[in-house]
Amino acid sequence: MRKVVLVAAREFLTTVTTRGFIIGLLIVPVAIGLSAIVAPRLFRPRDYAVHGQIAVIDQTGRVAQELRRTISAAHIAERRAALARLSLSAVPEEIQQLAGRRGVAVAGGDGMIARVLGGVPDLRLIERAPTADVREEKPWLFSSENPKPLALAVIHPDAIAPSTDGAYGTYDLYVAASLDDRIENQIHQSLREAIVNARIKLRGLDPAQVDEMVRVGPVPSVRVTKTEERRSLGVFNRVLPFVFAALLMLGVMMGGQALLTSTIEEKSSRVMEVLLSAVSPLELMAGKILGQMGVALVALGLYVSLGIVLLLSFALLGLLNGWLVLYLLLFFLISYLVVGSLMAAVGAAVSELSEAQTLMTPIVLIVVLPMLLAVPITTDPNSRLAMVMSFLPPVNTFGMLLRMTSSAPPPWWQVWLSIGVGLGSAFLAIWFAARVFQIGLLMYGNPPNYATLIRWVRQT
Amino acid sequence: MDPAILLAGVTKTFGTTKAVCNLDLCVPRGALYGFIGPNGAGKTTSIRMMMAILFPDVGELTVLGHSSARDAKNRIGYLPEERGVYRRMRVGAFLTYMARLKDVPEAEVGSRVKGSLDRVGLLGTERKRCDELSKGMQQKVQLAAAIVHAPALLILDEPFSGLDPVSRRQLRDLILEEHRRGATVLFSTHVMPQAEEICQHVVMIHEGRKVLDEPLATIRRRYDPRTIRFDPLHPEIDPTLALARVAGVERVDRVDGGFDVRLALGTEPGSAIQRITAAVAPARIEIARPRLEDVFIQIVSEGGAADRTAVTARDPLVPAAAR
Repeated sequence: MRKVVLVAAREFLTTVTTRGFIIGLLIVPVAIGLSAIVAPRLFRPRDYAVHGQIAVIDQTGRVAQELRRTISAAHIAERRAALARLSLSAVPEEIQQLAGRRGVAVAGGDGMIARVLGGVPDLRLIERAPTADVREEKPWLFSSENPKPLALAVIHPDAIAPSTDGAYGTYDLYVAASLDDRIENQIHQSLREAIVNARIKLRGLDPAQVDEMVRVGPVPSVRVTKTEERRSLGVFNRVLPFVFAALLMLGVMMGGQALLTSTIEEKSSRVMEVLLSAVSPLELMAGKILGQMGVALVALGLYVSLGIVLLLSFALLGLLNGWLVLYLLLFFLISYLVVGSLMAAVGAAVSELSEAQTLMTPIVLIVVLPMLLAVPITTDPNSRLAMVMSFLPPVNTFGMLLRMTSSAPPPWWQVWLSIGVGLGSAFLAIWFAARVFQIGLLMYGNPPNYATLIRWVRQT
Repeated sequence: MDPAILLAGVTKTFGTTKAVCNLDLCVPRGALYGFIGPNGAGKTTSIRMMMAILFPDVGELTVLGHSSARDAKNRIGYLPEERGVYRRMRVGAFLTYMARLKDVPEAEVGSRVKGSLDRVGLLGTERKRCDELSKGMQQKVQLAAAIVHAPALLILDEPFSGLDPVSRRQLRDLILEEHRRGATVLFSTHVMPQAEEICQHVVMIHEGRKVLDEPLATIRRRYDPRTIRFDPLHPEIDPTLALARVAGVERVDRVDGGFDVRLALGTEPGSAIQRITAAVAPARIEIARPRLEDVFIQIVSEGGAADRTAVTARDPLVPAAAR
């Protein structure tokens, strides 16, 4: 055991003290931080402050007047700010306060959302005669007038008063070829709002009052268990499974990849036989697996701690079930033992990193497949697919973790059954790897395929 | 006392190739053995089996009284044929790691590392990274790793290859020093004069089979001295005809300005020398000293078949006809 610890300690220290590891460790949080700063600037919409004209053929004679108001820059700005307020009202208070400090709540002001969305379009409305011929008006859209013609709206005669069959009519919208989707959306919204307002007014009601009456703000739900009540946040619940699965994948791949490269390095530098004069192949493999497990735990610990600090700073820690972190650790250990052992076996079987690619494909699939199926699993955590993925070794740890972090976690017996299946597959993987490791370590020459590895296992 | 290494009927096959076939070997404690044979003879496979890196298909194996070298790894120093060190590791750290793996007491690790580096002539390189050293120096680092724990058994696989003449001499002295310390030393080489220079006992292996297992002195003594080296006193006179007429002389060959006089089977060399001296005045006359290389070539040319190995191993230097 002492030799296993010595090998593990060397493996751990050699890896964590390399510049590559430190850079690799920091690159994820730095990349996330940078993307949080840079992405809004990168994805900032192009100049949204379009100047243009919209022509309207109002066959009702009542909508154009409303449209003039709803298409004004001030009204569009107010509509966007109201939407932002509505979105923010669903998130916890701490984030609202932060957003408020950044100016989001300032309607039509230069708040964060306003800045992200860009300037407000300046649209000038031109009324055409209600009897105007649409075919004759269409060429105006590609004329070279200034401001630029953007759209031609035709309000149907029954748009505000139902026809004999009781159904309301609508409108047609013809747009210039190069019109931005966002402007087009704003025009549609303004048209719909104008038509609805005209309908309400026709009934002798006040549109502002009706708007107030039909509005109900979003309310975060409270998740109740036998022992506690936790706030529930839709976005958080949707993101959590992916974060946990990504952490699991990151930890497993980080440790497994390092194990693969260090084994290949020892083999290609021919130091392996020197080591085997001092330790048995099994001691060497165990030490290497433990050492790299420590490396992966450092990375995983750092990322989980950062996440907890982030949640704490927004007073959102209450949204996270602490047990999930412990299960993440447990599932990591199982997955790492499976993937790490197989990677150690591959490392022992080949002489160069390039030779490992073919053998690596099925191992990478183990990690990637559940991520590819994460959306259907989390959407319906009790579906047949989700059940299969949470019990099918060796992907079951990923599948079960996705289900556990979803909004409908499985019963505890399923969790522990999956853990049992995982431990069994880890045992098998170690057994397989140990046999391949013993033979592969001193094998040089043509890279083996899986058939060869199985033959080695039988030989041992 | 148990022998340091005992192999009984050990056989190892890779696919259809028999790398080692029915090998018996007994290396007593404190002995200095040379394990010789041409490339591909099965030396490295045999050594790897002794080290429990490979396992025999058939046969028994004991190392330092244990049925597997794994139980005695801490008492064995090993220099494998495939040289390798951790390239990015510092020399001192590498040797410290190896010393700890070999269970050297923690308090002694530092002094043992310095001592072993001193013995291979690399003192002062502790802080250097292994990849900063030349290939020969890396080999010395490996050798230092093999002796850092003062092993009871030192197994060196082709230790001289890749070394310059000065380093070869240094290594030879180190092997003799380790032997004097009381360690059992077994080293393999395909360069037979190296074995001749150091060994007390030689085991020769060919195509996986042992063809010779004798003390070097016995080999020399028992070698059938059928060649007499002769330099004539008067080199201007060709003595070939006169020498060929001497009773018991089979053939005369001109070699390097002198003559090799080949005696017929069963001819007693002492009396042949007297007859030759009487026939032609010599400037120098001596029985040619047997070289392992000659012995090996003779053994291989005489047979090599499986059923003859046992005979040659028992009495390898007696000509086939005499047997």
